Amino acid sequence: MLDVQDLHTHYGRAHILQGISLQVAPGEVLVLLGRNGAGKSTTLKSLIGLVRPTAGRIRFGTEYITGHEPHAIARAGLGYVPEERRIFTDLTVMENLEVGRLPPRPGLPAWTPERLFALFPNLGEMRTRLGGRMSGGEQQMLAIARTLMGNPRLILLDEPSEGLAPIIVEQMAHAITAMKRQGVTILLAEQNLHFATNIADRAAAIERGRIVWTGTIPALHADPALRDTLFGA
Amino acid sequence: MLSTLLVQLLTGLSGASSLFLVSAGLTVIFGVTRVVNFSHGSLYMLGAYTGWSILSRLPREPLPFILGVLLTVAALALLGALLERLLLRRIYAAPELLQLLFTFGVVLVVQDATQAIWGPNDLPLPRGRWLRSFVEIGDARVPLYDLILIAIGPAVLAALWLLLTRTRWGTLIRAATQDREMVAALGVDQKRLFTSVFALGAGLAGLAGALSLPDGSANLQMDLSIITDAFVVVVVGGLGSVPGAFLASILIGVLQAFGIVVLPQATLVLVFVIMAAVLVVRPNGLLGRPQAIRENPASTTLIRPAEPALRWLGLAALILAAAAPLFVGPFLLSVLTEMAVAMLFAAALHFMMGPGGMASFGHAAWFGLGAYAAALAVKGLALPMTAGLLIAPLLAGTAAALFGWFVVRLSGVYLAMLTLAFAQIVWAVMFQAVDLTGGDNGILGVWPAQWATDRLVFYWLTLALCTAATLVLRTILYAPFGYALRGARDSELRAAAIGLDATRLRHAAFTIAGAAAGLAGSLAAFSKGSVFPGFIAISRSVDALLMVLLGGVQSMAGPIVGAIAYTGLFDLLLLATDQWRAVLGLSIIVLVLAFPQGIAGTAHRLWLRGKEA
Repeated sequence: MLDVQDLHTHYGRAHILQGISLQVAPGEVLVLLGRNGAGKSTTLKSLIGLVRPTAGRIRFGTEYITGHEPHAIARAGLGYVPEERRIFTDLTVMENLEVGRLPPRPGLPAWTPERLFALFPNLGEMRTRLGGRMSGGEQQMLAIARTLMGNPRLILLDEPSEGLAPIIVEQMAHAITAMKRQGVTILLAEQNLHFATNIADRAAAIERGRIVWTGTIPALHADPALRDTLFGA
Repeated sequence: MLSTLLVQLLTGLSGASSLFLVSAGLTVIFGVTRVVNFSHGSLYMLGAYTGWSILSRLPREPLPFILGVLLTVAALALLGALLERLLLRRIYAAPELLQLLFTFGVVLVVQDATQAIWGPNDLPLPRGRWLRSFVEIGDARVPLYDLILIAIGPAVLAALWLLLTRTRWGTLIRAATQDREMVAALGVDQKRLFTSVFALGAGLAGLAGALSLPDGSANLQMDLSIITDAFVVVVVGGLGSVPGAFLASILIGVLQAFGIVVLPQATLVLVFVIMAAVLVVRPNGLLGRPQAIRENPASTTLIRPAEPALRWLGLAALILAAAAPLFVGPFLLSVLTEMAVAMLFAAALHFMMGPGGMASFGHAAWFGLGAYAAALAVKGLALPMTAGLLIAPLLAGTAAALFGWFVVRLSGVYLAMLTLAFAQIVWAVMFQAVDLTGGDNGILGVWPAQWATDRLVFYWLTLALCTAATLVLRTILYAPFGYALRGARDSELRAAAIGLDATRLRHAAFTIAGAAAGLAGSLAAFSKGSVFPGFIAISRSVDALLMVLLGGVQSMAGPIVGAIAYTGLFDLLLLATDQWRAVLGLSIIVLVLAFPQGIAGTAHRLWLRGKEA
């Protein structure tokens, strides 16, 4: 569904992504694992078009989206949930969802606020609350719900567990699993190994802007040396 | 007595209404696009002229009047959309100040175009009987039209509020005001959003322009006079806040109406004092939100001492300049004097703008204060020229220190708009204080002392003083103070963490820049032999900005090259054409589009690239 070939991205003169290649199959959850600064967020930002890649190709479905404007990429069915969540703090929950709304896609059931409130019951109880008056966990759920309103075929989740209390992380894992069951393909960037391996089908390890390992979750668990190089001190 | 008060209050409120219409458009456009649109005043002016063309052809009855006003609104909305699509769209990524400058280029072009289409005379609208009628309130007679205007303000506020809170478009606008990148990542095409916002803002400006006709006329001064007031309103109300703009309009409108009765000369100062008071208590305006702390990107080019090659070039240029009088005529000598003054003026602005990170849009205030101080010292107090040259930087520096105390607490466009407003107020004071300054007639006969009356001697004096002062600025820039200042500019938080007081550093830089500009102003006064309010006009501030931006803020050589190039080109332009505004405006537009880094900045990059290759 998503096919990234040899993606390079620069910030000024700094060469951040040095040839990222990865594939995401329809319906799967792929987790991008790596330390701070390895290039996880930059990969996702390059995919949605917020950062313009300097080289490489991104194919989404049958379409090449490299270098397209973010709004065009989002309309093509790629959803993005940023690490900082970027909730519209002056807007209510319902208004935040409205900003994310895009026309339904043929062949897929459309997300409605009601369906999203079933997925994130907390949100349903605070429809008129301002985004700025919500806790971090609630904002994270709203950020995901807002992106789902665009009926994405694939959603990019940037560290959804970051800074959240363990019990909220648990809820988040449930929600992501539920999303997956409803047919959304997910590309997840994470540092929380436990959280990530609970919900993902496959993992790709990123280090200094390159994919250094790809494989299934069981394979990752079977290779403690790899886990040490990725996250060990 | 009571009825006079009532009439005055109602006059103030009706003035507040049109002020609000203009400010609301300005603030919504800023909120979404982050562009401070100087040319918003031009849209207001075009609204008045377009309205005049339509309304003066219609019967003088209420219904045709309404129809004509609506037609004007539609025409201006269309024009605003065109302006956005053809021009402004290209500069969204440019630095704020270049955007401001760019839209000022549009102002200049529109001024000449308007004059070409409608002629130089004021165009009053023949008013129908109903527009001249009065309503009795108690024992006061209030013009009916004032009451209509008073009602339109809140009606537009309510309509805007409904539009912004009850429609999907409004929700998108409010979301984009906060985080337009995220809105794009959610699949919303910003371009269409921006165009529609511009159309709305331009339509409101057109409405205000057309509605101003029955109480006045369409004239060529209305663009700059309304934009200054609108800037003040938008800053006081809080950038991006429509209700804030409403509150501030009422505050300023009523204040002006009463001020004219009580203390005509002090009205402008009063407005400024109120603005200062509001900003000291609420730095983001009445209903504004804190601006996101904008850490300057690390890619900003460092200001470095010039390369040896450039230094030799500078020295050669200086020797050439000093020797020039021996082989040029009187006209070129006066151009050279002007260039030397411009060099110091631009270097002073660069000092606070580049290393200080404070982009002033009203640097002419200090230039003009210096010029008036010197003129009054020699004419009013009969002091020698040397005293005048000393008093000028002292007075300008003191004024900058006073004004700077609170202005350095602001940043970015707030600072640019406030410095502009301050310069306008200084301009108005000099214009109105006829007894002291001669008003529009200026102060004449400000000639140099006996020993410097010779054009040659005075040129050498000017060159020496300006070069020395510029070198002092350069020395400060590369002294620890200069490094601390740049540190505070690049990251206020980190500077604070190592014990630097950013506010005090900026205050000092602001004061120094003011004093240096004051010296430049006094030299200009003696060189011209007279001082006029034009010394403080917006266009003079823009001159300085153009010089710095033309040269590039990234190097100390920038403002110097810019000043020389600009003065030379401008004098040629004045010789060549009457339509200098249109030519200058178009040049600004083209230059900003072509060289977003300034000429020297671009040349420097090419030079570096050449060396790397």
